[in-house]
Amino acid sequence: MPARVRRKLPVLTFVLLAVLATAGAAAAANGGFTPQYPHSPNAKSINHAYDLIFILTAAVFVIVETLLVVFIWKYRSRGRRRDVEGPQVHGHTRLELLWTAGPVLILAVIAAFIFVKLPAIANVPASSAADRVNITVEAHQFYWQFDYPNGAKSINDLHVPVDQVVYLTIKSADVDHSWWIPQLGGKTDAIPGRTNHTWFKADKTGTFLGQCAEFCGVFHEAMAARVIATSSRAYTDYIDKTASADLGRAEFQGVCATCHGMQGEGGYGPAIAANPILTQPQSLTPLLRNGGRALMPAVGNDWTDAQIKALVDYVGKHVYKGATSGG
Amino acid sequence: MAVRSEAVYPVSWKQGRIASWLVTVDHKRIGILYIVTALVMFAGGGLMALLMRAQLTTPNEQFVTKNTYDELMTMHGTVMIFLVVVPIMAGFGNFLVPLMIGARDMAFPRLNAFSYWTYLLGCIVLWMSWFSASGPARSGWTAYTPLSEAAFTPGHGQDYWILSLHILSISSLAGAINFLVTIHNMRTRGMTWMRIPLFVWAMETYSILLVAVLPALSAGLTLLLLDRQAGTHFFIPSQGGNVILYQHVFWFFGHPEVYIMVLPAMGMISEILPVFSRKPIFGYKAIAFSTIGIAFFSMLVWAHHMFAVGMPIGLDAFFMISSMIIAVPTGIKIFNWLATTWRGNLIFDTPMLFALGFIALFTMGGLSGIFLAAFPVDWQVTDTYYVVAHFHYVLFGGTMFGIFGGLFYWWPKMFGRMLDERLGKIQFWLMFVGFNVAFLPMHMLGLLGMPRRIWTYHHGGLWETYNMISTIGSGIMSIGLLVFVANVWIAHVLRRGVRVGNDPWLADTLEWYAASPPIPHNFDSVPYVTSARPLRDLRRRLAEELP
Repeated sequence: MPARVRRKLPVLTFVLLAVLATAGAAAAANGGFTPQYPHSPNAKSINHAYDLIFILTAAVFVIVETLLVVFIWKYRSRGRRRDVEGPQVHGHTRLELLWTAGPVLILAVIAAFIFVKLPAIANVPASSAADRVNITVEAHQFYWQFDYPNGAKSINDLHVPVDQVVYLTIKSADVDHSWWIPQLGGKTDAIPGRTNHTWFKADKTGTFLGQCAEFCGVFHEAMAARVIATSSRAYTDYIDKTASADLGRAEFQGVCATCHGMQGEGGYGPAIAANPILTQPQSLTPLLRNGGRALMPAVGNDWTDAQIKALVDYVGKHVYKGATSGG
Repeated sequence: MAVRSEAVYPVSWKQGRIASWLVTVDHKRIGILYIVTALVMFAGGGLMALLMRAQLTTPNEQFVTKNTYDELMTMHGTVMIFLVVVPIMAGFGNFLVPLMIGARDMAFPRLNAFSYWTYLLGCIVLWMSWFSASGPARSGWTAYTPLSEAAFTPGHGQDYWILSLHILSISSLAGAINFLVTIHNMRTRGMTWMRIPLFVWAMETYSILLVAVLPALSAGLTLLLLDRQAGTHFFIPSQGGNVILYQHVFWFFGHPEVYIMVLPAMGMISEILPVFSRKPIFGYKAIAFSTIGIAFFSMLVWAHHMFAVGMPIGLDAFFMISSMIIAVPTGIKIFNWLATTWRGNLIFDTPMLFALGFIALFTMGGLSGIFLAAFPVDWQVTDTYYVVAHFHYVLFGGTMFGIFGGLFYWWPKMFGRMLDERLGKIQFWLMFVGFNVAFLPMHMLGLLGMPRRIWTYHHGGLWETYNMISTIGSGIMSIGLLVFVANVWIAHVLRRGVRVGNDPWLADTLEWYAASPPIPHNFDSVPYVTSARPLRDLRRRLAEELP
């Protein structure tokens, strides 16, 4: 018996290695076999943890499924009568202890590796406390609002400097949401009444996509976010000048247009392009702050006067088509 | 107790073909009522899944509206969990537990009937909520606050949802107490705890868990109902409520619920594998105690559903380790099942195919769970299609395959006729292939960044490819399920199902001592039980006595 096992060992090892190699190749090409290619140190460490678990669980998977297939093949009935019994083995204590201890060992390795990697994932890099950028993310039905250190705000597009630690304070203004940019780390829920934190450090300039990961209502799917990592100069430019000039457009397109259409032509919500309320701040403001009578959420329940003014200016100029031209 | 030999339903009007089912307190008939109702609900839940898959086939699809999608997604989860899996296990338990332990009926036959009829009422309330003013609940089967509060989910769909779950909780609680009393008090002579079938162990554990965690769900839902209807603010943060409290209460119920759904299926596997391997189960005690171990640890892992809410790292670590510990008894079961087939005389009848399919698929679901237990990795994969893939491997690849194995295995006992083996095998292969085609790509979708519960998506490329494949898989699976419907139709409506005797599979446990279908009082006499395999003992004694 042991000789037979020894003969088969190389074959088994070969099969195991071949499967792992294939899996590795698939993972490298990333057709969805690992989390997305990381562009932040915390995301990188998460991927390392993922890779280790993948290798260990893949090995267990191959062992179990191989045994299953081999047993099915080897011990198939081959026309034996139903009343022919196999050996009446009721158990084997040592063997059972072995396959209890094996998983314990594997899981201990995984847990230990997680604890080793944890500081690099959860802790904000301490050395950069001075020049880290603190930004507040406020999740709303159905948009993201970003508050920059100088008071500037943006909607759905988060501008950050590359190679700098960005420390996010995450809140919600209504229901649960979840902040998630896969290439820049894991999820952090935005929960009303709570303040959560996370961080990332983009290692290249570019745009990183993500979307809300906690079901938050009818437009959950539309609640996308973009992180735009630029040079430090471009970032300063953005928050000092562009952000406030662009706020009205960003608010309309990021907040109102989700339901009312990019030109206010209507969609899930009614058409508003011809609605005179767009030119009446005294009526528009309570609508934004408290929501509408029917389905409209209180999208601007904590907006500043400047935010409301930016929106009023924008819709008056670019969206409102006059009471007659609508229809 | 004297055995009654006259008709069980002595009042004449109660003997009618339909009336006798309405007034029955016979555990076997109640069991069948449970199973048939749950299978009808399964068809409904499956139809909703197909509508969702159709909507997700291609990007920017408009097959159903956003609101409808959210309603389908919520109702699919609720129906499958509360109207299909939990009650179908109660159905199997009802039919099998008294027969397996050599009892005449459940301990409380009228309470048993009450459990079934409240379950049916719960089904009706939930389905009728489609007709409420603004449609059924649409905040997910988890009904997270504050989204499920009146401010964000107006209308009465959510209230009907709560009402229905309350009714179903009462039904399950009564059923669970009934199982516990039955198993503890009504075992026949010689049926010691180490001789009861492993399915009975599973039902014992199922019942303990239901009694332990259903009150948490009821409490949480009552608070939510008060918030919605009575102006309280338990879960409304702007008025001092706590949103996370709801999640803790819900998952304290919700995670053990997973084991409530999967342990009885594991019990079925532990019955089927030995019979079709012609061997005893390998490590009876290890499997029985690992069932208890899983049940105990299942109450200590709930917050692994909440790693992203921002708990202290210490708590994250606790729940990671407890979740990993629970993988150990699960692994023990899988290796013991494998060892049961070792050197056996494996006969691949349909129940065996589903049992082996269970092992193959549940292993996958168990291993993907380890990624979710490791909390930093969970931060990447939670709330994505990866999770959807994971729990469908556990609850469909695991539990539903176990249930179909159980249906084919016990069908002749329940109805006295076999289902067609060839159609059964066709169904198995369609379901096995279709299942993997539908759910394997969902792992990839999750890792590519597709969150769960989204109505549509805007990426083409791999997102579209994988979603398309998944929808095709769901179609293959549904053909498999239609084959099952055809099989039942042919066996019973066309009466082609082969009639069988007491023990067509040469099985081991006491239910095969009864007639197929069993007489109303189950047994005229019960043999004294001397091992965990009384029927095999009996066969051997007969063989020795005969020349």
